[in-house]
Amino acid sequence: MANQARRRRGVRLPAWLRPHQFFILYVLGVLGFLALMTWAESQGLSRHWIGPIFLFLTVMVYAGIGVYGRTSDSDEYYVAGRRIPPMYNGMAAAADWMSAASFISLSGALYLQGFSGTSGQAGGLAYLLGWTGGFCLVAMLIAPHLRAMGLYTVPDFFHVRFGGRWPRIIAALAAVLCSFTYVVAQIYGVGLIASRLTGVQFEIGIMLGLGGVLLCSFLGGMRAITWTQVAQYVVLLLAFLIPVSWLAYKQLGNPMAPAVYGEQISKIAELETQLLDSAAEHQVVQAYLRRAKEMEARLQDVEGALERERELGRERIRQLRAQNADVGLIVSASRELAALPRDAASARERWTREMHENYERAKPLGGLPPHSQAYAGDPNGTPEEQREYELARRNFLALMFCLMVGTAGLPHLLTRYYTSPTVAGARASVAWSLFFIALLYLSAPALAVLVKFEVMQNLVGSSFEALPNWMAQWARVDSSLLSIEDVNGDGIVQFGEIRLGADLIMLATPELGGLPYVVSGLVAAGGLAAALSTADGLLLTISNALVRDLYFRGTKRDASPEQRVILTKFTLLTVALSAAFVAALKPSEILTMVSASFSLAASAFVPVMVLGIFWRGTTRKGAVAGMLAGLGVAVYYLLSHVPAVRGALPGWLLADGLWFGIQPISAGVFGVPAGFVAAAVVSRITRPAPVPTGVRLEI
Amino acid sequence: MRPSALRPQQTPPREPELAGPFPPDLHDVRHLWLKAVLLAVWVLASFVATYFARDLQDIVVGEWPLGYWIAAQGAVLVFIAIVVVYAWAMSRFERQDAQAASAALAEGAHPAEHRRG
Repeated sequence: MANQARRRRGVRLPAWLRPHQFFILYVLGVLGFLALMTWAESQGLSRHWIGPIFLFLTVMVYAGIGVYGRTSDSDEYYVAGRRIPPMYNGMAAAADWMSAASFISLSGALYLQGFSGTSGQAGGLAYLLGWTGGFCLVAMLIAPHLRAMGLYTVPDFFHVRFGGRWPRIIAALAAVLCSFTYVVAQIYGVGLIASRLTGVQFEIGIMLGLGGVLLCSFLGGMRAITWTQVAQYVVLLLAFLIPVSWLAYKQLGNPMAPAVYGEQISKIAELETQLLDSAAEHQVVQAYLRRAKEMEARLQDVEGALERERELGRERIRQLRAQNADVGLIVSASRELAALPRDAASARERWTREMHENYERAKPLGGLPPHSQAYAGDPNGTPEEQREYELARRNFLALMFCLMVGTAGLPHLLTRYYTSPTVAGARASVAWSLFFIALLYLSAPALAVLVKFEVMQNLVGSSFEALPNWMAQWARVDSSLLSIEDVNGDGIVQFGEIRLGADLIMLATPELGGLPYVVSGLVAAGGLAAALSTADGLLLTISNALVRDLYFRGTKRDASPEQRVILTKFTLLTVALSAAFVAALKPSEILTMVSASFSLAASAFVPVMVLGIFWRGTTRKGAVAGMLAGLGVAVYYLLSHVPAVRGALPGWLLADGLWFGIQPISAGVFGVPAGFVAAAVVSRITRPAPVPTGVRLEI
Repeated sequence: MRPSALRPQQTPPREPELAGPFPPDLHDVRHLWLKAVLLAVWVLASFVATYFARDLQDIVVGEWPLGYWIAAQGAVLVFIAIVVVYAWAMSRFERQDAQAASAALAEGAHPAEHRRG
């Protein structure tokens, strides 16, 4: 007895750590598991097993937490009972926030776009600044005020503040619209990682990941999601920091990557000038230029060119047959023939794309801007360069603005702060979230710089025969992720010949840096955690909006809270499946889709929300007008530049060209002011006349 | 949470068009000033600093070109500082208000005691 008591006292934590004992145990568990896997790998555990083990075990842990936190109580389901301590709330918000885009694509975007991207495609550090700076708006203008109102969903705010039916319906529809594009991007990320980790098909990967999402959010709602997100944050933080620290230690002898990577920036600038002067790189550029010209020539006469290509293919097969060549060669030749476009329309589309791609790659440095140079162009150069500089800077600022304001409007983030116990707790939660996000975001540019140095220093100039194994594996998953080809035929890798997709950089970092395969598994698990945690939050937001705000709308329908929760659960299932279906079509790049939903959230919610909180004169009609105007302008500008829509609608309906040279991705730049102006003007007009009796009494 | 907080339509709005059922509380002037100052710092660290990034790039501090450093790290650190200062200052204001309120209460209670004495 006494012995047992002493033993129990022996493992007691100091008082200030005691509330965190589960968390500490969990972190120790993750670290122990990593150590165990490293040991197992050194003992000869096959790589085919490591990936699936990581995938399976992490998803099982999340699902376990989800099952443990299952609930059908509506307060627990919608806002986790409003008793999540600020630090954990911050951690959960950070995981919720850091999507597949942040984890998988951000360092890749920084690698490809350098400081700011080009004038045609802004990016780079704009993502980093936008996704952190927005929290200042959340903290000061929105989160504490919403928490003080004791709401359950974001559309609730519009209902409670403005009353009536329409503000809430519009808000719910806008929430569904921007969250759905966002969730599709997450599920795409899940499919990408799962298919790489387990070697299954992309579509099956999506379904596997989806099972994980549903197990957490389906059973336990916000309560389960909060604690799984805390667990996922730990995994994704470790998964990001370990490879970055390793690369930094390898290159600079110091694992504190964000503090020391400045040294590599100047080295990269030197390597870039060397590459710009290199003769082999010029050959590569010429080769791509030739290809682009060939495509351009084919496009002059699509039908004829297609016929010629087919004839060439048939001729080649005949020749091979005549020579009694190897069967493999004949098969590949007929496969090439079959891969030719079916008709002139698809040929035109494909060749136009290939022409643009080749022109893009025919630029010096493979089309990448110099890494640390702020903005393309030159403020002191020719008028053309000056204009490019001006446009690049304008688009950079515009994108940053949209991402910041969008942060303050994304419903799945704002509901996170409903779960804190007090208003002061909500403020502290925002501060904690930004801290936990910054831990990762300060390392992302470091990773981009370190990877770029690794590629320029070690990969460029190596021989094609000695290419590492992982490159072929990734190229097989999707050729847009990684393509490498000996364009000038000298057998040596040139910088212009490598093309890495934005989504690849992070996932391939461990292999690039020569880390043990366990770290690759961990990184993939981290990417999965990032995608799953965000997808959880988004799915819950969408289904809540559909059920609470659209279907039940107030209290008119008879339903007990439990029935509502059950209905929400099934809506969630439907939404998840349809999102998976859209993701399986592989729409486009993750980062672009996510950025578009930021513009939508910024224009639909932020103007009316800020006016509603800070200006008592905002009327219901003003709110409706503001939301419709903001959303309308943003959607119109976005759609006007989608090629499919351009083809389908008459030209006079669409925006003519770019307004002020701003890219469609930053449509929020127009949507936000439109929302503010419309809400303010309509509120002024519909304001009831001041009651005159008060004045008379004074007289 | 009280369900009544969620069902404002049960208490019909007094002014159907203005403000709706739940007009926001009037904001304390100190809070608004705090927000204004911190938002100004926010604009400076993000928009103004990146607008001049190319000019700042030539200044090299340690190994870092200043324009790059601000965008990659400096601004994020400023954002964290803003959010932390805001949370700290607001809690401080709330404590002061609570103290003032309890002091006023004590003040109100004091004369009564005197009279009784």
